[in-house]
Amino acid sequence: MGRDVVVLPTLPEPKGVLAKALRGLTKKPGDVATLPARTHMVMEHRVAVSRLAAYCAETGFALRDEMPATWLHVLTFPLQTEAMAADDFPFPLAGLVHVTNDMTLHRPLRVDEVLRVSVRAGNLQPHAKGATFDMVGEVHVGDELVWHGTSVYLAGGARVAGDAPPPVRLAAPSVAPSQEWRLPGDLGRRYASVSGDHNPIHLNALTARLFGFPRPIIHGMWTHARAVAALGGELPDAYRVRVQFAKPILLPAKVGYGVVREDGQWRFAVVNREGKPHLVGELSVARRGEP
Amino acid sequence: MTSRTAVVVGGNRTPFVKAGGRYADASAQDLLTAALDGLVARFGLAGQEVGEVVAGAVLKHTRDFNLTREAVLGSALSPHTPACDLQQACGTGLEAVVYASNKIRLGQMDVAIAGGVDSASDAPLVVTERLRKAMLALSRARSLPDKLTALARIRPADLAPVPPAVVEPRTGLSMGESQALTTAKWGITREEQDDLALASHRNLGAAWDAGFFDDLVTPYLKVARDSILRADTSKEALAKLRTVFGKGEAATMTAGNSTALTDGAALVLVAEEEYARGRGWPVWAKVVDAQVAASDYVTGREDLLLAPTRAIPVLLERNGLTLDDFDFFEFHEAFASTVLATLKALEQNGVGTVDRSKLNVKGSSLAAGHPFAATGGRIVASLAKMLHERGPGSRGLVSICAAGGQGVVAILEA
Repeated sequence: MGRDVVVLPTLPEPKGVLAKALRGLTKKPGDVATLPARTHMVMEHRVAVSRLAAYCAETGFALRDEMPATWLHVLTFPLQTEAMAADDFPFPLAGLVHVTNDMTLHRPLRVDEVLRVSVRAGNLQPHAKGATFDMVGEVHVGDELVWHGTSVYLAGGARVAGDAPPPVRLAAPSVAPSQEWRLPGDLGRRYASVSGDHNPIHLNALTARLFGFPRPIIHGMWTHARAVAALGGELPDAYRVRVQFAKPILLPAKVGYGVVREDGQWRFAVVNREGKPHLVGELSVARRGEP
Repeated sequence: MTSRTAVVVGGNRTPFVKAGGRYADASAQDLLTAALDGLVARFGLAGQEVGEVVAGAVLKHTRDFNLTREAVLGSALSPHTPACDLQQACGTGLEAVVYASNKIRLGQMDVAIAGGVDSASDAPLVVTERLRKAMLALSRARSLPDKLTALARIRPADLAPVPPAVVEPRTGLSMGESQALTTAKWGITREEQDDLALASHRNLGAAWDAGFFDDLVTPYLKVARDSILRADTSKEALAKLRTVFGKGEAATMTAGNSTALTDGAALVLVAEEEYARGRGWPVWAKVVDAQVAASDYVTGREDLLLAPTRAIPVLLERNGLTLDDFDFFEFHEAFASTVLATLKALEQNGVGTVDRSKLNVKGSSLAAGHPFAATGGRIVASLAKMLHERGPGSRGLVSICAAGGQGVVAILEA
């Protein structure tokens, strides 16, 4: 069976996708054997400077011509949602938990480059609490792969045949936090407007409660971006960054950030008052030809 | 102590853009960081410690109290690079170069980065004085009645933000209105002003076309050239513009012969001469000497923007030079009439005559735009390169007028 390629003229507007996703709430996954073999793609995406600027202002990056890797993930996100909102996609979008993320920026990517953005689902795996799958995003300039990323999601309650592989665990650096971040109560709405991720769990207490959170939680990808931005001028030109989302941050919040640099790689964690990690990550210099 | 010389080895700036344009979403810190990124890349400074980075901004948020240091921390320079914010209105960029050069000459450092940034798009909005005082009282209040009392003092009209204005606090006149007085006093005609503006656009356009700015400017946010530049403008087009400063029939100043509000950042790399040679950097020009002066403008006896005419004779005297000893004059074009009145005053005061064929030969602020604190860095880097191209012994005079009736002037020599 060949892969379907769905070419969209532009990145879908996130709010429309959200409506589609809400219709998917009635999906009852149960036994799942496969994911749709389909790639969603936008052939020529031109970055709007004002959107990049708003993203950078909200996440702590300086507004440069060279774009942050986490911003490229944001560009793939509407396609991820589009793919997962499809009728034949087995899991309801709203119940998915983003567990880990792994992305590589292969070279500095400038704001004036024309990007081909694509997303596909794959790697369905059994998990102790359900099933996991990967959303794989790629950004090309011409034929050159300049960014790729894998978001691993957990679909609770689903059943996939086989034994669950051992979970990947990143180790938090054993270092006292050197930064304190104050996350205001409206940060979820603010990040939703710059990222296009309007998942109701991030927006306000009422919508968060519908999904079992006492207060809105900040997007994991905000925490991820902020943690990378915190490296400031040390951030290499090309890098791979992996993060594990350990525990949601309820808004408003005060969290700590600690980072160590050893053997040419950075290990960082965003932690709560007790030092328990919300997010753990590793960042290393990407070299040509490496995955 | 052996003699030490401070030299300009290069520079980098963003293209300059009209306020509210393509840089509308960039903060002053973003712009300064962008200029720094380009300089660091051009001179291979990533990971290295620079003696000091000194820069400033005229329109400045309180959150930017450490603007330059924050830009350094966001750059690839070593975090051990110290930084300093300095501000003297439009003289900021040149004063930063003077500060850095003096420290280098004194042996306090070997290499420095100097310049400035301004974003009229990112200008801070201020709240009304009544609202500010009420909010401060509210933050001090401990009991509920105290808090309510503080809140009750706020009137609806207090909630409107106070837009920034470039107005002299002591005269209440905007810079354009002040300059209109100077223009009339010195009898500067509309035609002279438009001619100077036209020359600025033609010269800057020709310099861009010749690739002069290839190693002086790094593109930013999809902008590769100064966006105010109208290389194809004409005397007729400039003559059609309506006047914006001055009153009635006598008004001569237009948007064409006055600088526009501009966003941009410019930096210069300054080093001790032997140190620069040791690193294989080009030695473009020495920073020979500088002078500041101020005018008695509040009383109306003197002109707001003609303080350089007080500084120039002092500087020439100290260095045993006359206006005939210079190959290039870089006189900042706050307004065309500022430059023309400066030339007239220098003649009238017996200082000498500026050869117009040597004036702003690569264009100046009328065509490039004028992000206040960035102008000094733009001028110094361009002039140093021009002198380097002209050859050893060639000399240039920089003159920049600033708010508060101040002026800063400097001599560069290849």
